[in-house]
Amino acid sequence: MQPDGYNEVEETVRGVLRDVLGIDAARAATFDEATPLFGALPELDSMAVAGVLTEIEDRLGIIIDDDEVDGDMLETFGALVQFAASKALS
Amino acid sequence: MLRFGPDTGPVVVVALPLFEEANRTRAFAVTILRALAERGIAGALPDLPGQAESLLPTHETDLAKLRAGFAAAVASLTTPVVTLAIRSGTLLDTDAAVTARTHLSPMTGADLRRELIRARQASARESGDPFDPASLDTATDPVELAGNLVSPALLAQLSDATPSLEQTRTVRLATEAKPADAKLPGSPLWRRAEPDNDPAFAQAVADDIADWMATCAA
Repeated sequence: MQPDGYNEVEETVRGVLRDVLGIDAARAATFDEATPLFGALPELDSMAVAGVLTEIEDRLGIIIDDDEVDGDMLETFGALVQFAASKALS
Repeated sequence: MLRFGPDTGPVVVVALPLFEEANRTRAFAVTILRALAERGIAGALPDLPGQAESLLPTHETDLAKLRAGFAAAVASLTTPVVTLAIRSGTLLDTDAAVTARTHLSPMTGADLRRELIRARQASARESGDPFDPASLDTATDPVELAGNLVSPALLAQLSDATPSLEQTRTVRLATEAKPADAKLPGSPLWRRAEPDNDPAFAQAVADDIADWMATCAA
């Protein structure tokens, strides 16, 4: 059972990946919990990660501490959504 | 300075963001100015000290020089000026004698510093070359951040720089959480690694500015 608002966070993160990485909407729509991100998406290099995180902050009105950023949260689409939801819905 | 539209009437002068975001938003800004010209409104896009075609090296510019450069560009025009400042460009129209300001997705200098540091840390993780953000506060030589050599003076000035709120209309993307006078649909071109354009977003910004100028004039 996911908390209220989880789907909105998921769609926000999907929109950020689409808009920041320039991924077309049809491809972004196929992302699910297990879709690998960092190391699997050629568009997502380390500089792009910085842009993705900042854009997630702007859209969800949250602050992500750089100490919280690690490889695990960027491994899959599901992990990134889970992380964003833990900040936005707490 | 690039000029668009008629020789008479108020001029919309663009302040592009600092650093890499200037490259990402330049084509977008030109599209907005062309759209304004189609609506009978003049536009101008100046190059500020240390930006674009300016002869001043990027690491020799600072906030005071950028603001003075923008104010001088505005003063060179003989008709009333409305600014269109984008992102960190909203930190640059502070000292200019303008009738009104449109701020598109404004940010503070502290926000910009934080984003530069985040990008620098990301490249440090990739290269394995350690980077301590605290070193920025004690630097005496230009620092390389996200591919730009930045003067320590500019970094220090950014810490407490905020956009002017006088005669300012704030416009943001519909996806942004922060409050604004108007929110428009579009994509955050300033974040794109590969520069892109969004003609529908540019038209919406031009419409918003044209409507607002008509309201102000009435």
